[in-house]
Amino acid sequence: MEYLKYIAIGIMMMSAAANAIGESNICTHAIDNMGRNPEMYGKLRTAMILGCSLVETTAIYCLLVSILLIFVG
Amino acid sequence: MNLIIFEKITVADKLNSMFDFKFVPQTFMALVVMAIILVFAIIIGIMVRKAKITDKPKGILLLAILFFQTIDNFTLSIMSSRYRDFTKYMIVIVPYLFICFTISLTGLPSPVVYLATPLILALTTFVLVHSAAIKENKWGYFKRYIEPNPVFLPINLISMWAPTLALTFRLFGNALSGFCIMNLVYYGLEGLSDVIFNSSFSGAIGIQSIWIAPLVTPFLHLYFDLFSGFIQTLVFSMLTLIYVSQEQSQEDENQVIEEVVS
Repeated sequence: MEYLKYIAIGIMMMSAAANAIGESNICTHAIDNMGRNPEMYGKLRTAMILGCSLVETTAIYCLLVSILLIFVG
Repeated sequence: MNLIIFEKITVADKLNSMFDFKFVPQTFMALVVMAIILVFAIIIGIMVRKAKITDKPKGILLLAILFFQTIDNFTLSIMSSRYRDFTKYMIVIVPYLFICFTISLTGLPSPVVYLATPLILALTTFVLVHSAAIKENKWGYFKRYIEPNPVFLPINLISMWAPTLALTFRLFGNALSGFCIMNLVYYGLEGLSDVIFNSSFSGAIGIQSIWIAPLVTPFLHLYFDLFSGFIQTLVFSMLTLIYVSQEQSQEDENQVIEEVVS
């Protein structure tokens, strides 16, 4: 039964894939629009990093729960 | 005979110590960060009193002025100018969070890795948001809990805590994941260094395990402490501002004066 924990962690970290898709969407659109109007480069980069870090939160929740399951639980 | 100078503490031990609310090193570090900010504040305060308006600001005073202007512009870009007093809160919370993250560059434990610190910070945001709402709506504040109809009262009471929880775990998760990865890398590199240098440094016990880690870890420190700390500070302060400004009326000071005059 001890090993079921690691299967749970594996399933949990699959959500990182969905997270990567979301982040790649943000980056794609940001870079598209940077190419279209380069004078907005600075503002778009800031917004992109902020958006990425907000989206990243889900992956961090998963990582947090996984770490807790490995070391503490 | 293999003596070890420092007793090795595993990652699991460190993590276990994080969840019992005793006086742990992280609590002490929160006070140290406070002391650092206090010293800077006193120095800058003395310099501001001594400075004359006609002189050009120099050194640390110039940095303080630039920092204040940045934070002020940041606050005003989200809030209306009626609530400019909020800059005073941001001027405390931004350096506190950033120093909390970057203090682990010195080798001391970061206070954000201890669950209490982000929880307290998020609870401060919670209090600010709800006090702003009460100030704005007076008794109409309680209307939000029975918003579509009174059946939704328990759901609304639970969802009231969602932003606080999200803020807490965003900070905590970021700091903890960085801390864990750093510790694992250090642990592995110590073992590797032990294996490589054990024969040549057999006389000096314990010192053979410190050679490889400084070559690899600076880049990880750069990402997990500086970059991640900066981004999380930005995100936390921006989310605090957004949550609070949602509860406030968005009229500008000038607009209100114009309405009163006309």
